[in-house]
Amino acid sequence: MATESSSPPNPPAAGGTPQNSATETVQPANEVKQDAAPQNPKSVFVNSEPIREDQVQNAVKFLSHPKVRDSPVFHRRNFLEKKGLTKEEIDEAFRRVPDPSPSAQPTVTNQVGQGVTTSTIQPTSVSQTPVPIITVPSSASPSMFALARSRFHWYHAVFAVGLLAASGAGTAIWVKKSMIPRLKSWIRWVVMEEKNGDGGITNIKPTLAEEAAAAAKAAAAAASDVAKASQEMMISRYEEKVNMEKFMDLMQMQVKEIRSMGSAIKHLEGRSDKIERTHLVEHGGHSGSITKLKPTYPNGNKPEIDSHSARSSLPPTSADKSAPPHPNSYMDIMAMVQRGERPPNIRDINDQPPNPNQQISNPRLAPRSKPWEGAYQAKTSSRGGFGSALNGEGGSDFGAQNNEASNQVDAQSTVPWWQKKNSRITETDYVEAKPGSTTVVQTNEQPPIQRTWVPPQPPPVAMPEAAEAIRRPKSKKEAEPVSQETSGEGFSAAEVTDELQRITKISESGGEVEEMHSGGQGTNGALGGLKLSEIEEEPVQSY
Amino acid sequence: MNVSKTPFNGYSVKFSPFYEDRLAVATAQNFGIIGNGRVHVFSLPPTPTGALTEIISFDTADGVYDLAWSESHDSLLIAAVADGSVKLFDTNLPPPQNPLRSFQEHTREVHGVDYNPTRRDSFVTASWDDTVKLWSLDRPASIRTFKEHAYCVYSVAWNPRHADVFASASGDCTVRVWDVREPGSTMIIPGHEAEILYCDWNKYDECLIATSSVDKSIRVWDVRNYRVPIASLNGHGFAVRKVKFSPHHRNLMMSCSYDMTVCMWDFMVEDSLVGRYDHHSEFAIGVDFNVLVEGLVASTGWDQMVFVWQHGTEPRGP
Repeated sequence: MATESSSPPNPPAAGGTPQNSATETVQPANEVKQDAAPQNPKSVFVNSEPIREDQVQNAVKFLSHPKVRDSPVFHRRNFLEKKGLTKEEIDEAFRRVPDPSPSAQPTVTNQVGQGVTTSTIQPTSVSQTPVPIITVPSSASPSMFALARSRFHWYHAVFAVGLLAASGAGTAIWVKKSMIPRLKSWIRWVVMEEKNGDGGITNIKPTLAEEAAAAAKAAAAAASDVAKASQEMMISRYEEKVNMEKFMDLMQMQVKEIRSMGSAIKHLEGRSDKIERTHLVEHGGHSGSITKLKPTYPNGNKPEIDSHSARSSLPPTSADKSAPPHPNSYMDIMAMVQRGERPPNIRDINDQPPNPNQQISNPRLAPRSKPWEGAYQAKTSSRGGFGSALNGEGGSDFGAQNNEASNQVDAQSTVPWWQKKNSRITETDYVEAKPGSTTVVQTNEQPPIQRTWVPPQPPPVAMPEAAEAIRRPKSKKEAEPVSQETSGEGFSAAEVTDELQRITKISESGGEVEEMHSGGQGTNGALGGLKLSEIEEEPVQSY
Repeated sequence: MNVSKTPFNGYSVKFSPFYEDRLAVATAQNFGIIGNGRVHVFSLPPTPTGALTEIISFDTADGVYDLAWSESHDSLLIAAVADGSVKLFDTNLPPPQNPLRSFQEHTREVHGVDYNPTRRDSFVTASWDDTVKLWSLDRPASIRTFKEHAYCVYSVAWNPRHADVFASASGDCTVRVWDVREPGSTMIIPGHEAEILYCDWNKYDECLIATSSVDKSIRVWDVRNYRVPIASLNGHGFAVRKVKFSPHHRNLMMSCSYDMTVCMWDFMVEDSLVGRYDHHSEFAIGVDFNVLVEGLVASTGWDQMVFVWQHGTEPRGP
């Protein structure tokens, strides 16, 4: 990872590590990255992989395809991006693809090919190979191909297979039609030859054997005729069936094409904006639902949404055509929009700026630091804590401790329920807002803040001398012997003094220490000793 | 625990980065198909239950799909409006003096807006016209336009640590990582097989980014090795509309979906789903974490409700 971070975003420049090593180095990369980040932080967000030659070649093949050349450039780019190619690979592929005329796929003649014309059709998908198709069986093929010119390449496959079968059957019939007459004529010729031969040469009566042979031949011929005829019938029936299926498929395809064309026309008519927004508003959230079982919704209108995939294929709802004065359901509004009506509850609002040159007022508050900004140094240590805590506990534990926390806050009642981390946040605010000032200063310059910095509550002190000692950290040494006599809380005033001294120093230094930032776990350590509130310790440790 | 009903359908909710008790909600009439819009600014009441208090609201001619609080000015709001405009509102001024600015540059609906949290001087907008625009409050026009996506851009998100890096999620099924110093995108992540509706960066690890998609899943990616996601979170019944990382915990995430639930996740755990809230009765469209108060979350949806609650407690209250 270190090499990746130091190399500029030029993958061929030797520095790029292949994908495999990248996976291996992810784990230690976090630590390494922290070191590397200051050197060249931008590089993490850049593709550092070298150009993959196989991907580029696949892309070149794709781009060389004549059908692909007809599509807009950004469609081609988007397709390659979705396949996972990097920008550099895509650019390289575009560079390599030659510009000149598209090379048509060579025509392939039929295997039987006895005077039968053939033609080829280019499939739209790259993955398919050209399929020889015979135009004999169906005269509607050119129009079919014209219609089916779009993306439905699997339709092409089915279609091609059907046509192939039909063509095979057709040629078989044709062959048989041509063969059978020839065979028959040949047999007859033979029979006649024999007859002629017999009659022409001698007047010898045909022997029984000869007669039998002739009869047998005739019978055989007849039998073969019958067989051929029945076979013919079967084949023609089969062919009819195949043709029927083909026609059914074609009809369905045509219906779908017409539907989509109708929707396209609707778009062009100008209603497309709202309908398209509807679709985008839903953006196929429903397409996801189609593949799964329909959910059970309490609202009866929902299943209608699920049953429609595309924006345009939404027919008017089964509800009444006359729009009610206040349509309150999504389907009603969609239907209104499709009919071109405007829902009545829309007002004409002028939302233009009344004074476009109005000065933007100065901010009243200084920006606050984010919880993660201070925790950057503490990240490695705290991450383990987060992970283990979250591993071990589920949502219920979250809930339990949060509940306890909020209950305790409510019990204290002076703090709003959403401010259960009151003290920590106030100190952070204060520290961030006014670096360098002393601790006990009212935040008069910041009126919008609802809370002023509240000094941590000192423990109840039995002796005034101890209180004095707290206020004067320098006289700590004098206070120590005094406070030890008075410590009834379990900790000495010296401890409190120490903490206060620390806080003073931290605030004076501008709050650079991570402990003082809200959300950081270190704060607990700094303040926990003060026992400001019990709530801080419990939920903090759970995280 | 705090609930409010808005007159229009909710689209986005954002807590203020300056005031712990303040949040803004973007709403659109008629589910955002056609109609007006409104931006509400609410304040949390001191009691755990009860309605939110509306401080101010601003009407717009078209629906508001998203909004962002300014990180530099405590009273400024930026709204992404469905008529393609980007509007600047000042909550300290009454509605008749608002909006302060209306930037009309996008040619289609503006669907996402995000304010730079580190440098605090600029914001980006995502639009259905396939572009992302970079703006600054003191300039009358956009600074830059990023045009590379092949379809609608649904959301943008600034990196929480790198002031120049942001990511955009688009209906062309990719997430692009951009650097404002570079002419084009620096990384293209083909994250899902379906449209990607939202992306968000991890606040504690700037190389992790989460994406939510129409394919009902949420994926967490490391940009250093983006071929394979670190985690793929399944559990929503329908398209996941938004996913957000917690500002207080590295592994905690929240998402909302067309299955009307709001879910909490921990992506480092095998069984990632750590919480599920089904308080909405229509599509749940917007969620947000409060940056200043740990554990406080909000959600809004097409049922016109806004809920604010402490994660781990029941949103609808006892």
